[in-house]
Amino acid sequence: MDLLSSKWLVNLLVCWFFIGVGCNSVEKKIYVHLNYTIPCVRLLNATHQIGCQSHLSGNVGVLHVLESEENLDWVLRSGLNPPYLVILESPLFTRSIMMKLKNGSSRVAGVAVVAANANPPDGFSPHTNCPNENTGVYTESYDPAMSHCNVTVWNPLGNGLSYEEFDFPIFSMKDDNDTLVIRQCYMDHNRAVNGSTPQYPLCAMQLFSHMSAVTNTATCMRRNDINFSISPEMVCDPLGDYNVWASTKPLNNTAKGHKDGERVVVAAARLDSRSFFFDVAPGAQSGVSGFVALLAAAHALRNATQEAPPPRNILYAFFQGETFDYIGSSRMVYDMQNNQFAVDLDNIHSVLEVGQVGLRAESKLWLHSDPVSRKNSSVDEEVKKLIQNLQSAATDLNVSAEVPNVSQPLPPCSFQRFLRARPIPGVVIEDHQSAFTNRFYESMYDNAEHLNISYPSNLTLEEQLEFVTDTAMALTEVATMVARTLYAQAGGAESQRNNINADRQIVTRMLYGFLVRSNNSWFQQLIPSDLMSHLTDTPTNFYVGVAPQTSKPTYLVQYLLANLTGSTVNITQENCQNQRESEEDKENKHMYFYVWAQGAALPNSTEREGFCTRSTARLVKAMSPAFDLREYTSKDYSTWTESRWKSIKGRIFLVASHELEMVTLGVGVGVLLTSLLLTYFMSSKADILFSSGREPANATY
Amino acid sequence: MNLERVPNEEKLTLCRKYYLGGFAFLPFLWLVNVVWFFKEAFMKPVYTEQLQIKTYVKRSALGLLFWVTVLTTWITIFQRFRAEWGEVGDYLSFTIPLGIP
Repeated sequence: MDLLSSKWLVNLLVCWFFIGVGCNSVEKKIYVHLNYTIPCVRLLNATHQIGCQSHLSGNVGVLHVLESEENLDWVLRSGLNPPYLVILESPLFTRSIMMKLKNGSSRVAGVAVVAANANPPDGFSPHTNCPNENTGVYTESYDPAMSHCNVTVWNPLGNGLSYEEFDFPIFSMKDDNDTLVIRQCYMDHNRAVNGSTPQYPLCAMQLFSHMSAVTNTATCMRRNDINFSISPEMVCDPLGDYNVWASTKPLNNTAKGHKDGERVVVAAARLDSRSFFFDVAPGAQSGVSGFVALLAAAHALRNATQEAPPPRNILYAFFQGETFDYIGSSRMVYDMQNNQFAVDLDNIHSVLEVGQVGLRAESKLWLHSDPVSRKNSSVDEEVKKLIQNLQSAATDLNVSAEVPNVSQPLPPCSFQRFLRARPIPGVVIEDHQSAFTNRFYESMYDNAEHLNISYPSNLTLEEQLEFVTDTAMALTEVATMVARTLYAQAGGAESQRNNINADRQIVTRMLYGFLVRSNNSWFQQLIPSDLMSHLTDTPTNFYVGVAPQTSKPTYLVQYLLANLTGSTVNITQENCQNQRESEEDKENKHMYFYVWAQGAALPNSTEREGFCTRSTARLVKAMSPAFDLREYTSKDYSTWTESRWKSIKGRIFLVASHELEMVTLGVGVGVLLTSLLLTYFMSSKADILFSSGREPANATY
Repeated sequence: MNLERVPNEEKLTLCRKYYLGGFAFLPFLWLVNVVWFFKEAFMKPVYTEQLQIKTYVKRSALGLLFWVTVLTTWITIFQRFRAEWGEVGDYLSFTIPLGIP
């Protein structure tokens, strides 16, 4: 009942005076809105919901900055003002603390995690320890001994936090002004000084992240389809995006299905990643290292495949949504089986997948293959040839490529979805022999720092773009090895092989573009002008997103692939954008994809000199077949959906005690009742009260 | 309409109309009938048409009670079990609440 409450009353009065006009500024006086908030959102699959949820009107709790795990007792038992909104430093964002908070959720209104500026030393992975356990090839029927990561637990650090369900909101905040305000507010109002209980008013926070979808995918997809009401409301969307693919020899993309006489070597990598929070998924080691190596290999192969085309075709495939039960690869295999893709499974000669290759201990690479399909002697022979090609390419370089224990199954990879369809010879290149070397698998710490990519502080942005790090050098070697192997796999002449070299400058720029800032001069040159808004000054987010949209990394990879594998053609901008080489040309669009890249900025000018690139880089839908088949409880295909939401925001303010709130309400109700009584009384006794004035007037008439 | 100013025959016709109208699955008409004609039927001094009005009001009240029971039971059951019914529950709903089962 001190200064604050009187301030409140004044505010309220002012608000009543200037209703509609002045209320905005009063709102500003009460609340401090948080600028940079990243929520954890709800995802659903065939059986479960995961992620976080707030009430429709947000969750309000008294702030408590957690100092250690022992300090939890205040939140869960002894604190006098529940519910609490817990502020965590990122080292305390562990499974044990989060599960305690989850189980005491009647006293927990929400959690805000202050993102660290440096990666934790011990490793942290909120993913499961057996990624994509049920949708890979190792099912009970394929080989019971290998199912459920029985042989190797691939991600031993995985604590499964990303797959838990919390009924309170969890936000991530950058360590900046916002968190400073929060800490100050906590220090001033909420801290119990030497055992005394903190006095009202207390500092509180409100977090909004109400999710529309609930229960599981079947429920939310059904609710999407029910349109009784006037404004039907969608509650969830399937996860999905587009796969990017290209081939060294153009394939007619309009004629789907089997192509006679065509043999393709599939070179695959995955594009996406995730973390506990919605839109931070840097995926440096888990995604970027692999696909950058493959992009660089594709570039290295451009000249060799044009000058001395090998007899077999090479198909580069970049899969989206692999984190969520292999959305991209399962879709491509499904399309191949149903003659919806440019080639089919019969056309596939072999598969070479580039997995996580960014962190090589003692510069070793491991060539993983599937022991079950290798029981078939013809497959085994092809795999042996492929391994031999890889090893002979490695010996020429400064790389050692080794084969892990024969009885070990494949790590989580897109190739597993091909094997699920039929035994195809293939190898997956990884930098780990058994468990991942990646200590931050699918976490927000899987970033440039994790790959040891850092720049001297005195470099300009342009110099950073060109600064070759050790990681880039190492990845270039991997790319060269992959490129030479692919060339050999495609049957290319041995004499050509040593001329194939990946360009380390290209690798450097790509790493910088994807892990540091995509808004750099090189990316700007290669994309069409309408995509400029996709470039940002922050690391790229590799979360797959929902199906109808194309995410930023997909576009970037497509245009990079187009420029790295395609060739410049001299045609007009209009023809280029209309996918033709001249006005009469109706054929080339089936074979090629044309991009009008905006080109480099001319010196001392903002204008750019655009050019047309002809390539085979295309997008193909990466949405789980479960949604086309309407099998929302499918065990074969990914059923992940993302809930929709209306607002995601957070704000802090001071709350008065419960008693004061009640007194204020009581006084208000009292005033209202008194005024009603008074009015009634006055109107019923009006003739007495107002009689004297009226009498002379009555007398006149 | 002020019933005070209406002749008795017209009151009876009105009451009958409301009573009959209620059978078209319109329990609210019965509710209106009961509230509106309650005084006429039970409080006013006796007049010829009153007996008939009384019957209509009583029957309307009975019908109303029936509806109230049925609807309350159904709404209780529906709200309690909608989530458990899953698919059926969703198809029976006009608006589906967001974010809860």
